[in-house]
Amino acid sequence: MKRSQKFYLQLGLAVALLIFIGILIYNLWVNLSRTNMLLSFGWLGQPAGFALGEHPLSYKPSDSYAWALCMGWLNSLKVILCGLVAATVLGVLAGAARSSRNALLRALSSGYVALIRQIPLLLQLLFWYFVAFLSLSGTPLAPLGTLIRVSNQGVELLGLHLSVEFSALLVGLSVFTAASIAEVVRGGINSVPRGQWEAFRSLGLPEGLGLRRVVLPQALPAILPGLTSQYLNLAKNSTLAIAVGYADLYAVSDTTITQTGRAIEGFLLLLISFLMLNLLITGGMELLNRIVLRSQQRL
Amino acid sequence: MKSGPSPFKRLKRHLLASPLDVLITLLVLALFGWITATSLHWLVVDADWRVVSQNMPLYAFGSYPSDQRWRPLLWIALLIGLTLMTLLGPRQGWLRKALPLFWIAMVPFGVVLLAGGIGLLPIPSHAWGGLSLTLLLTACSGVLALPMGILLALGRQTSLFVIQRSCSVYIDVMRAVPLIAVLFFGQLLIPLFLPMHLEVNRVLRAVLAFALFAAAYIAEDVRGGLQAIPRTQHEAAAVLGLSTQQTLLLVVLPQALRTALPALTNQAVGLLQNTSLMAILGLVELLGISRSLLANPDFIGRYLEVYVWLAGVYWLVCTAMALLARHLEHQLSPTTSATAKR
Repeated sequence: MKRSQKFYLQLGLAVALLIFIGILIYNLWVNLSRTNMLLSFGWLGQPAGFALGEHPLSYKPSDSYAWALCMGWLNSLKVILCGLVAATVLGVLAGAARSSRNALLRALSSGYVALIRQIPLLLQLLFWYFVAFLSLSGTPLAPLGTLIRVSNQGVELLGLHLSVEFSALLVGLSVFTAASIAEVVRGGINSVPRGQWEAFRSLGLPEGLGLRRVVLPQALPAILPGLTSQYLNLAKNSTLAIAVGYADLYAVSDTTITQTGRAIEGFLLLLISFLMLNLLITGGMELLNRIVLRSQQRL
Repeated sequence: MKSGPSPFKRLKRHLLASPLDVLITLLVLALFGWITATSLHWLVVDADWRVVSQNMPLYAFGSYPSDQRWRPLLWIALLIGLTLMTLLGPRQGWLRKALPLFWIAMVPFGVVLLAGGIGLLPIPSHAWGGLSLTLLLTACSGVLALPMGILLALGRQTSLFVIQRSCSVYIDVMRAVPLIAVLFFGQLLIPLFLPMHLEVNRVLRAVLAFALFAAAYIAEDVRGGLQAIPRTQHEAAAVLGLSTQQTLLLVVLPQALRTALPALTNQAVGLLQNTSLMAILGLVELLGISRSLLANPDFIGRYLEVYVWLAGVYWLVCTAMALLARHLEHQLSPTTSATAKR
């Protein structure tokens, strides 16, 4: 294609795209002005009027919509951060178990991954909420003494109370994401040459120590990108909180939109909040990646 | 083949190599035993399967009128038949060549069968439900999303700045938003962006939202396939005198799609699982119909039976899809097709 041809083609496409967007916006404007709902963010200051199941800072129904959305954002952040830690620990264990010498352990891990990945997350969340947590009795189970107590009122971890909704969501998200992380970790471990295993074994290092000190550090650069995308998936999947009644960002936005009818504004706010969450996660992982690469260069 | 060490030695090496291994083996065995014992006890003693067995038609068809149920039943039966034929059928012959066409035809055929028209009694979309709705949502949005995804991937690769930018922005924004938000706003916003008198029914809105969402993910998978194609392929096509379009359609895309196939399979399985999200937004697909069943006082508290049953159904369908995809991968891999031609 000639340069001028390319230019006119692009110009034409840009105009077509603009016209298309223009038609959409015109339709939107017609529909909104018909219902007297033209864009504004003034409603954010009005009292929300609904209660939240849990809120990390003080909140009452007479507080503004903006504050309620903030609480939702903090609740989301809470479950995402806890989920990241739990899913990583479980996922690395399950992924490492795949390359264990013990055949039973390998079978357990691959069975776990195969089962969890073929069942919808929403179904798993409902299972954890209605079957695993709500059907417990009111008297707490305490398998480890006062360390952890589980009942249908929630989880008591070292004196810290976690609600049933939060616990069910956290367990469901972690178990689901860990299965994918296990695959990422397995792929990373497989990318390390077999000779490295033979080398540390011939040095007499025990299996677990060799895995931690020799294989995993070399597998990290291959693991980190996959891990980042799994973390982003966990963050996005945390919006299924609404199915178990946990007041996360999406659930609060949903209630807000239903009450005010401000769908477009609500969507924009949700979009911005999620871009912020994504930036937080990718930024953190980028930093980690840089630290890992630097420490590897030093070796 | 060389015969390995004796079974006892192998057992020892794989399970009982060190004291720690013995401990792990015992723990895992105890865990397996405990899981088997409790689930058997539950399956035989505690479980009450009436919530499943009495409601089979609901799980399959939702509230579809009972005298018209042969239509979704026919569609599901044809899908199962096609799956079996693809997996077990003849390796050669006209039937094998026609199979892809049959598969593509299943989508419009399913829509016509469920919706009616053309001599069939029209059934409004709010009466669709159960497994047939789940499969229909998956098939329709998949068929829409694949070409959109391919176009987006190609758009992201071109040197035309305007297209490249707009495709990138679309893909990145879509991938940053959670699906439930896309679906919810699809239900709310699609009517707002359309001219006033154009009505779009809820199932179609859901299909559109799924397709718009999945296209962004498919685009990234296809892009991975495109990037895996060596430059020499473009040069070879240019030497043969193929035009840009011919190069794309005959050389680049077939290879890119074949490379992207495993990732695309994962997307398809994910799409099927994600249709369950419509239960939150009030469609009575497989999970939605179960939620309304559990609200029925006759079956109150029978969560575990229903969830185990649903998990089984989803597992079966997902596994069938994965098997089909692996079969396709095998058929398309250059080594097998080369030997088949010889």
